[in-house]
Amino acid sequence: MADDDRRTDGREGRDVEVPLRLYKTVTVFSTLIAVFAVVFGFLLLDAAALGTGLLRQLARSILGALSLSPSDSLLSALFAVAGLLSIALGAAVYVLGTRFKAAEMSAGDD
Amino acid sequence: MSLKEKDEHDHLGWMEEKQLSPIEKGYLFTLIWLDKRFRVVDYLELLETMYYRVNLQMPKSHTEQYNLDNKFWYWYPLYALGSFSTLAYVVAALSGALLGFYYTPSAAAAETGTVAYSQIAMIMQDLQFGFMLRSIHRWSAQVMTAAVFLHMLRVYFTGAYKEPRELNWLLGIVLISLTMGFGYTGYLLPWDQLAYWAGQIGVEMALSIPVIGEWVAQLVFGGFSLGAPTLQRMYILHVFLLPFVVTSLIAIHIAIVWMQGIAEPH
Repeated sequence: MADDDRRTDGREGRDVEVPLRLYKTVTVFSTLIAVFAVVFGFLLLDAAALGTGLLRQLARSILGALSLSPSDSLLSALFAVAGLLSIALGAAVYVLGTRFKAAEMSAGDD
Repeated sequence: MSLKEKDEHDHLGWMEEKQLSPIEKGYLFTLIWLDKRFRVVDYLELLETMYYRVNLQMPKSHTEQYNLDNKFWYWYPLYALGSFSTLAYVVAALSGALLGFYYTPSAAAAETGTVAYSQIAMIMQDLQFGFMLRSIHRWSAQVMTAAVFLHMLRVYFTGAYKEPRELNWLLGIVLISLTMGFGYTGYLLPWDQLAYWAGQIGVEMALSIPVIGEWVAQLVFGGFSLGAPTLQRMYILHVFLLPFVVTSLIAIHIAIVWMQGIAEPH
């Protein structure tokens, strides 16, 4: 099947032909998930960089309820890693979504 | 138009016959699972249908009727400049209202400089999202000024100011002046060196007016040299007088466009 091969025009990347309705599902939900993941990732980075802020206080109080009190630098590091992971996840979801094309789209292959 | 399930394509059966990697399979399965439950795509398709049905009800515009679209479409973005100015004005109003919670128009001495200046420093350095808030306010103000000016050029060069729209053109001239008044009064509020000397220039420009110059300087700047009254007046102009006047005039400006229709190209 043509859509499972490498593209013939020499560009990297795989194209998978899907029905139009499924293409819409992929586009809408992958974009939504990517946007939320990236914005949330930046919020986490913000919480890592600022000593104050709601997210950090929330994390502190939840950890406090478990009688844990991590140091500020450890908390910052965790927030930073979680933020970068969230952004990477958003990017990955979006990029994975771009390989699915509706029938008419992969035929022309600009 | 309904949200009743249509005779659905068998996605899962389709996935079986396709050669997909486990990641792709899991990816599609997750998204289909979400779509079955939240049905965002169905709602978007509904909106799409409604958009086209409503459009069918609209009368043909001049450009459509005489088939000018093929020659004229590249000018259309310029017809958005009025809306764009309005949008920038709304953004400036909202961000300005929020800034108003933190700013104090006082020229009294603080630890460093004046109270007004130290409040600006506080917004920029200590307040959470303060830097962003003030930046949004500044940028939207700059964008509004630029957009209003370009809007005026568009109206001039397409001849949209001509009869029967002369009144709205004059109203627009008043509005662009008031926009610059907004810009000037806001420029003075940080009460830093830039603001202070811009204020000095303003006083001298007022004084240069024949006959009524001294009276104007007194009225607008509260004296012949800058001080607490100047800052106070600029603040009141910026957050009280101008918002009421400009908002009303914009409403009238848009209402007149609404009633007369957009001047279409010929």
